[in-house]
Amino acid sequence: MLIQESLSVQEKLEILSDAAKYDVACTSSGVDRKGKAGTIGNASKAGICHSFSADGRCISLLKILFTNQCIYDCKYCINRSSNDVVRTAFTPEEVCQLTIQFYRRNYIEGLFLSSGVLTSADYTMDLIYQTLKKLREEYHFHGYIHVKAIPGADPLLIEKTGFLADRMSINLELPTAEGLKKLAPGKNRDKILKPMKQIQNGIVTNRFELMEYKKAPAFVPAGQSTQMIVGATPENDYQMMMVAEALYKNYDLKRVFYSAFVPVNQDSSLPALPGGPPLLREHRLYQADWLMRFYGFQAGELLSEDRPNFNVLLDPKCDWALRHLEQFPVEVNRADYFTLLRVPGMGVKSVKRIIAARRSGILDFEALKKMGVVLKRAHYFITCSGRMMYPVKIEEDYISRHLVGEERRSVWDISSSNTYRQLSLFDDTSLSTQVNSGGIVV
Amino acid sequence: MKTIYLCDSSIEGILSGVYTAWASRKGHDNVKLRLKDDGATMELFCQYEEVPVDSQKADKVITAIRNKISEEAYEVVYKAALSNDMERADKIYRLLIYGFRVGAGVVSMLQNQAVYDIFQMCRFVDNETHLLTGFVRFTEMEGDLLVGRIGPKNDVIVLLAPHFADRLSGENWVLYDVNRKKAVLHPAYRHWYLTDFLPSDWEDKIVKTSVEDEYEDLFKRFRKSISIKERTNPICQLNHMPLRYRPYMPEFSQGLRDV
Ligand code: SF4
Repeated sequence: MLIQESLSVQEKLEILSDAAKYDVACTSSGVDRKGKAGTIGNASKAGICHSFSADGRCISLLKILFTNQCIYDCKYCINRSSNDVVRTAFTPEEVCQLTIQFYRRNYIEGLFLSSGVLTSADYTMDLIYQTLKKLREEYHFHGYIHVKAIPGADPLLIEKTGFLADRMSINLELPTAEGLKKLAPGKNRDKILKPMKQIQNGIVTNRFELMEYKKAPAFVPAGQSTQMIVGATPENDYQMMMVAEALYKNYDLKRVFYSAFVPVNQDSSLPALPGGPPLLREHRLYQADWLMRFYGFQAGELLSEDRPNFNVLLDPKCDWALRHLEQFPVEVNRADYFTLLRVPGMGVKSVKRIIAARRSGILDFEALKKMGVVLKRAHYFITCSGRMMYPVKIEEDYISRHLVGEERRSVWDISSSNTYRQLSLFDDTSLSTQVNSGGIVV
Repeated sequence: MKTIYLCDSSIEGILSGVYTAWASRKGHDNVKLRLKDDGATMELFCQYEEVPVDSQKADKVITAIRNKISEEAYEVVYKAALSNDMERADKIYRLLIYGFRVGAGVVSMLQNQAVYDIFQMCRFVDNETHLLTGFVRFTEMEGDLLVGRIGPKNDVIVLLAPHFADRLSGENWVLYDVNRKKAVLHPAYRHWYLTDFLPSDWEDKIVKTSVEDEYEDLFKRFRKSISIKERTNPICQLNHMPLRYRPYMPEFSQGLRDV
């Protein structure tokens, strides 16, 4: 391994941000924190994007590895020990300076610190801890920090770090134990899930402490997240969604991120992916994830063992609606919140507006348009005062043909990745939410 | 004959106009509010009347909105007054006519055109404010001073100021609206204030700490290396970060596009 200690900060930054870029999470969301006299920074719950890189992804945090040296040899990873790349490491001082100086100029919302495993999990976790401690206590940084927990590290170190960070994450990377065994020989499910459980418990305990003493220090207040790589191993969408659902339910995760596999290494155990990274599949997974978190859908409603993959031509919500036409049309002036949320072309915001507006009068189609409903999709599934917008048959083939026609362009745009347009998820086109990874509104 | 009230474009100006039009008792259909500098052509067969800014009248309208409609309605009106919509004065007037009739519920009655117009304006103002909380760039100047320049379409500087005052409370900073030639000044550890009395050469008087700010350069490098080549997508980037923001950002000093 070629270790370069004497590189300039520029060179280190280039190497250690390049090596961090496959971690898709860059959100700074989840916690509101006011500024405090004598410190620098605050945090805003919706998250703030400061720039967008050429791939259209949001830049919110200074996303870097502490070091790209690593004792492990995960096949999909650019930093794997068998790769012949220049290795380097920041000093805690350098990380602090970069964070503060970028923050003052309003380039970033905070720091995302990850790392390869140097010497041992404990050793690395301690370096990360020391860095955050310096940043919080000596540099008085009060902005957002997302930090990686190193699988296998001492729980005490993870806990201490959690009191300095806003969000912690441990990447599951591969949804099944077999996948992990094949591609990440140094890791196993247990090593990943144990700290995840620990952080979850820490958050719960902390919640009680905060209820009792308002002054108790906050533990990972923005919650924890994880990431799964899409398309490096043969798992289907159903497996991915079941895992995601279990993570949300059993580990209280705030977010599961999906990262279309980009082959950075030549390895016989990795797929070649001649068509480029599976961006459309990644997009469908995000859409479905969204449906689970905000629309009250269960993974089992969207997919099944017999239908284990998402429809390429239709978004998961339209797809679901078409298979449940017996539940439509719904009457906009009467249907409850969750029923309306299941209508294609309606999003969380538009449904909230509808519920508020119909208190003061009957709504017609013109009014729905003002609420932000996408009528060209929704009109097959709704009535206003008992009437549909056009005389259409509520019939699967007929509606499906029209919806597919409408979606075709965006599908084409995503799969031919260079012209991939930003798709708004379910018509919540609000710009005030943070956006990340290829235009997914989060 | 219709009477057109020409008001000043500030919130006081607009609300003075609202007061005057209302008090005229000419009937809402017979009056219209316009901004003095809206650039629109004169209408025939109308009577024009200029409304001087009168903060007492404006205050009366504000109190009435807060008491008879709601605090939220006042917030909405305040934001709408910051919008760049040339017809904002009359749109605010129409909202208030309806608001005084129906009360607090008015802000969610989007089915009503007057409410919807204001909602759209506020959304634009909010979006631009939110984007700028991220896109503002401060440059380090000599004498411990950070200077940020923006060129927003809406008059959002007063909405941005509290955000930066909270996060950069210990810094001296200036946020300057290039289009309106006004600035928010924030001395370290003190309150911020708005001023439009800047000497025309104020920008020449301050000097960058160094010709090439090391951190500007570092940030440019970071932006490049963090991008995934296989996912390059200028259209997606453009949708999130419209070109009009980029001239004020150092990462685009060599050109407004990355690829
Ligand atoms: S542990 Fe595996 S995934 Fe993490 S840096 Fe090392 S090789 Fe890469």
